Amino acid sequence: MKNWIPAATGLVAGVLAATVFFADFSSGPSGSATNENANKTNAEKVYVPYGEHDDYYMLSSGGHSGQLFVYGVPSMRKLRTVPVFTPDPATGYGFDDATKKMLGGFTWGDFHHPAISETDAEYDGKFVFANDVANNRIAAVDLKTFHTADIMSMPNMGGPHAGTFVTQNTEYIVMPTRFSRPLGGDYASLDQFEEKYKGIVSMVKFDQETKKFDLGYQIMLPPWSYDLSDAGKKVSGDWIVMTTYNTEFATTNLEINASQNDRDYIVLLNWKELEKKVADGQFEEINGAKVIDPTKVKGSIYAIPVAKSPHGVDFTPDGTRFIASGKLAPLMTVFSFEKAMEAVKNEDFTDEKFGIPVLPYDKVMEREVDPPGALGPLHTQYDDKGNAYNTMFISSEVIKWKIDTGEVIDRIPVHYSPGHSSAAEGDTASPDGNWLVSLNKIAKDAFLSVGPSHPESMELIDISNDKMELVYTNPVDPEPHYAQIIKADKIKTIPIYEKDEKRPNSVWSQEDTRIERKGNEVHVYGIAMRSKFIFDAKSKRPDELTVKQGDKVFIHLTNIDLDQDITHGFGIMDYNLNYEVQPGQTNTLEFTADKAGTFPIYCTNFCSALHQEMSGYLLVEPK
Amino acid sequence: MSKKLSIGSMLSLIIAAALLVTSLFFPWWGMKFFAPQYPEGLDIIVYPYTLAGDIDIVNGLNHYIGMTEFSNESFPELPYMKYLVIGLAIIILMIGFLRKKKLLYVGIGLFTIGGILGIYDMKRWLKKFGTELDPKAPIELDPFVPPIIGENTIANFVTNSYFTTGAFILGAAFICTLIPLWLERKK
Repeated sequence: MKNWIPAATGLVAGVLAATVFFADFSSGPSGSATNENANKTNAEKVYVPYGEHDDYYMLSSGGHSGQLFVYGVPSMRKLRTVPVFTPDPATGYGFDDATKKMLGGFTWGDFHHPAISETDAEYDGKFVFANDVANNRIAAVDLKTFHTADIMSMPNMGGPHAGTFVTQNTEYIVMPTRFSRPLGGDYASLDQFEEKYKGIVSMVKFDQETKKFDLGYQIMLPPWSYDLSDAGKKVSGDWIVMTTYNTEFATTNLEINASQNDRDYIVLLNWKELEKKVADGQFEEINGAKVIDPTKVKGSIYAIPVAKSPHGVDFTPDGTRFIASGKLAPLMTVFSFEKAMEAVKNEDFTDEKFGIPVLPYDKVMEREVDPPGALGPLHTQYDDKGNAYNTMFISSEVIKWKIDTGEVIDRIPVHYSPGHSSAAEGDTASPDGNWLVSLNKIAKDAFLSVGPSHPESMELIDISNDKMELVYTNPVDPEPHYAQIIKADKIKTIPIYEKDEKRPNSVWSQEDTRIERKGNEVHVYGIAMRSKFIFDAKSKRPDELTVKQGDKVFIHLTNIDLDQDITHGFGIMDYNLNYEVQPGQTNTLEFTADKAGTFPIYCTNFCSALHQEMSGYLLVEPK
Repeated sequence: MSKKLSIGSMLSLIIAAALLVTSLFFPWWGMKFFAPQYPEGLDIIVYPYTLAGDIDIVNGLNHYIGMTEFSNESFPELPYMKYLVIGLAIIILMIGFLRKKKLLYVGIGLFTIGGILGIYDMKRWLKKFGTELDPKAPIELDPFVPPIIGENTIANFVTNSYFTTGAFILGAAFICTLIPLWLERKK
């Protein structure tokens, strides 16, 4: 009676074989967009047909629009504008209670450099951080929802232009200052620049669970101006490097006066050492920040001379070198991190500035790369084949060169005046080496004219072969500075906000809707659903809200359509108010009903066939 | 004096009882809705004890045509289904152990009646939901009765109704209940 053994074995083998040969384990769309680019025309390379998706997200700063621009690469289609530092009526950002508080009354920001959170020096796709150069703020955008999760103001700063960049496991988001300024923004005559003004680096921590920032500590530096910076990787993981300019201490007409010295400095900081010392209590509390003076912590700060007024300094993918771009000196300088550490070990210092030991340029510098006629190098990106890519602002081109030899492999014109460029995963430990986007400041004649001021432009360049190829030019609103390109599958968005009955102020069924009055406060616990508002299901008109003039009104609205992309808007006529609730979201709108009268309310975000009917009335009884 | 059922028949009935109980853990029936804006489809999935799938979304959309909202509460038989199935399983198990051929006919009879009643009940609900539409609904539709199996078109939706895993297990249980008839055939 052991016959069942061969029979069962046969069945199992059959199922296994069928699974191996016929099962489809692939997920999601895959088609021509994911194929190799060889043998494709430029048009085919960027064409992503309906039903397929781009291979990459590009998260681009929106400059002084204060927004994050989200693009798909290689199609270069704009996917979304995410408001970060700027109110946005289209999404109610800055109108509803939570985001209004987060913005803190500011109506703009100047977002320059996004930084995606990293794990082991690779983008992990969880959050993207943003700097506000104008108002000393830092923001985090949750990439599950593409909503701004938190904004924090940083004291003592003079514009965190040299951020945002993260250490290799997002231990810190680093925000160095652009302008030196008396601490706390206090009054001090510009004649006292050298004594009273300070440059501050904010080391910010972010709790990914609570989605809240915390100012870890601040590093007090000489009153230079700090420009683009980077955090080390692997061997250099404990260090950050920053470019400086205005080591002349010019206090007026910086264009001329901050461009006099032939050499400025790159500053090396050991953030881990400083963190330890701060934990040991070696800091001074200034305006609520733990401020540490690195010159008092031996081994935590060094300077290296560098070609004048550099803009960018970027660690190579393996973390062994960092490349500075001269901006005003037309060359890229490759520095060896190992040689720098050797000089430190041997205490081989040429000089001391403000108590900062200066390392010998000749010993730490590995090579200078100076392609003829290439002017205004700004910023370096990398590929997977040991090459670096530099944008040349003045000569309007991108230059590809070999890091090991300095050999220039190719040059390609861009239109015009590129600031940063962004390569696919191009500042991580493992760049992809297929695409580079040049973020150009001037478009001039590239597109149909829209008047004296034109859009900026983004140019997609295929870098998979030795010879670079310009594939596509895309207009963009002002004004991207830096962008990062991340593999699309690293970002995991949620389709809806999950129903959470315990969420404060949420209401999930029509019967539970109600209007409560507490003194002169009126709280509406309402729902939005296709295609109606219900403020109080038991009232004669469930979508009518009557209050008295002067009442403080709180509209807590939950969108109970738990269906992807069914967002409801809520606009109140003549009250300058509009906000939205995304599927499953609860949001509160707070206002004082100071105008008496009758004000239609309607759904502003097209939701359904009867969207036009999705409306109600706000009635404000005169005093 | 009825003949005793063979060991094979007894085993078959035990398997039938086990399958009946197993079917409780799987969905029995489903309906999938497709529309231009829902290419991925919306699901109603019916387990013997609960509804699952995109019930809220389907209810939300159905209110446009005035269909009554449905939920577990709208089907009073749902809480009893599992007891009925377990009851039937116990009866079949007992028949298996008692090994009486006459009782076998009773078991098959009960199973058949249960199945017919179940399908009648479904048909009744489908008719009720499809025909008793609120006359005040914004979109007026002629009353309709979705089929128990197969395709139907309602406004912009194409629905596909189908029996699924649990129902197939029930079918297997029924076959196992029938096998003794063949095993005990007069030779």
